[in-house]
Amino acid sequence: MIHCTMEELLALRANEGSVWARQHVDACAECQREFDALYQRVAQLKALPALSPARDRWPAIREQFVIARARRRRRWVASGMAAAALIAGVLVMRPFTGVPQAEVAQLEDVKQQSASLEAELGRYDLDSRVVSGRAAALAAELEDRIASVDGELARLNTVPTQPGPELIRLWQDRVDLMRRLVDVHVTRAAYVGL
Amino acid sequence: MTIALAVPDILIARAKSGDEEALAALYRAFETPVYNLARRMLRNPEDAEDVLQETFLEVVKSIGAYRGEGHLWGWIRQIAASKALMRIRRSQVRAEEAFDEELTGGAPPVGVPARIDLERAFEHLSETSRAVVWLHDVEGYTHEEIAEMMGKSVSFSKSQLARAHSRLRRILEGERGTE
Repeated sequence: MIHCTMEELLALRANEGSVWARQHVDACAECQREFDALYQRVAQLKALPALSPARDRWPAIREQFVIARARRRRRWVASGMAAAALIAGVLVMRPFTGVPQAEVAQLEDVKQQSASLEAELGRYDLDSRVVSGRAAALAAELEDRIASVDGELARLNTVPTQPGPELIRLWQDRVDLMRRLVDVHVTRAAYVGL
Repeated sequence: MTIALAVPDILIARAKSGDEEALAALYRAFETPVYNLARRMLRNPEDAEDVLQETFLEVVKSIGAYRGEGHLWGWIRQIAASKALMRIRRSQVRAEEAFDEELTGGAPPVGVPARIDLERAFEHLSETSRAVVWLHDVEGYTHEEIAEMMGKSVSFSKSQLARAHSRLRRILEGERGTE
């Protein structure tokens, strides 16, 4: 007697079997057993216990996530830096009247420091560097704060502004944050031999 | 294994905005189902862990693109299955699957439940066969969907399933015969 093949039994299970296969399974005890066993195997497969990983992979995933987020923010900060440079240009072009020369000189000095630090960061391909999750998180936080300062500088750009304590303080904050960012990205990387 | 994971919309929304705690919560919710899927498809537990990591790196990166159509598990499962199949393809390029028809284990101890027999028998299938059986019989993918994911024909998927079930039957009959 010709019996059903496994493909025919699987087709029957999927309600796609031929008339012959259906009639044969109804009449043949051996194929009926095989058909029942197929159902049981599938049911047992579905009932297999869930397996859990031996190790926690979240810390590695989180580290990658933090680094990727830092890269996105860095791109955002770069556009903020461009805005800050524009602000600096506007201020340089604008004639300062009645402002103490010491404040003008101080503002020029901190802007120069900011530009130097940006140039220093720009010499390194930060995206291709391998940093620890902790360093990446610290860099991301610093970049957030720089972006916040740039936002304040951009806000000041919308109103007539002359060198004054607030503007100088913002630029000084920016320089301090940039210096710490350089420290995270460059100095520590060099220290550990990256 | 039946997955009945309901994830609150608010958690998904937070994850989409990049909230780290929400992403961690999603990982915890789907860690076991993703690993289980990968482990059932792949022979090596470390490979399955790598697929788990690759899957969630993709989830973290792309969750913003998840439109909320269908169950989140369906979206994550699709990523995990694709990653596992990619790994199978890579391993096939490295070496032909010589393990396919081998029996590496001895007879099960007397009195072990049938479920354990089947689990052991399943381990002896090739990774391609495991993947087709698991995706079709357990996860409910159609042959058309499996064929598309594997870059093969529908008839390939069907024949792999039939071949795998024939193999399982022979292994199980052989093991029961030794008891």
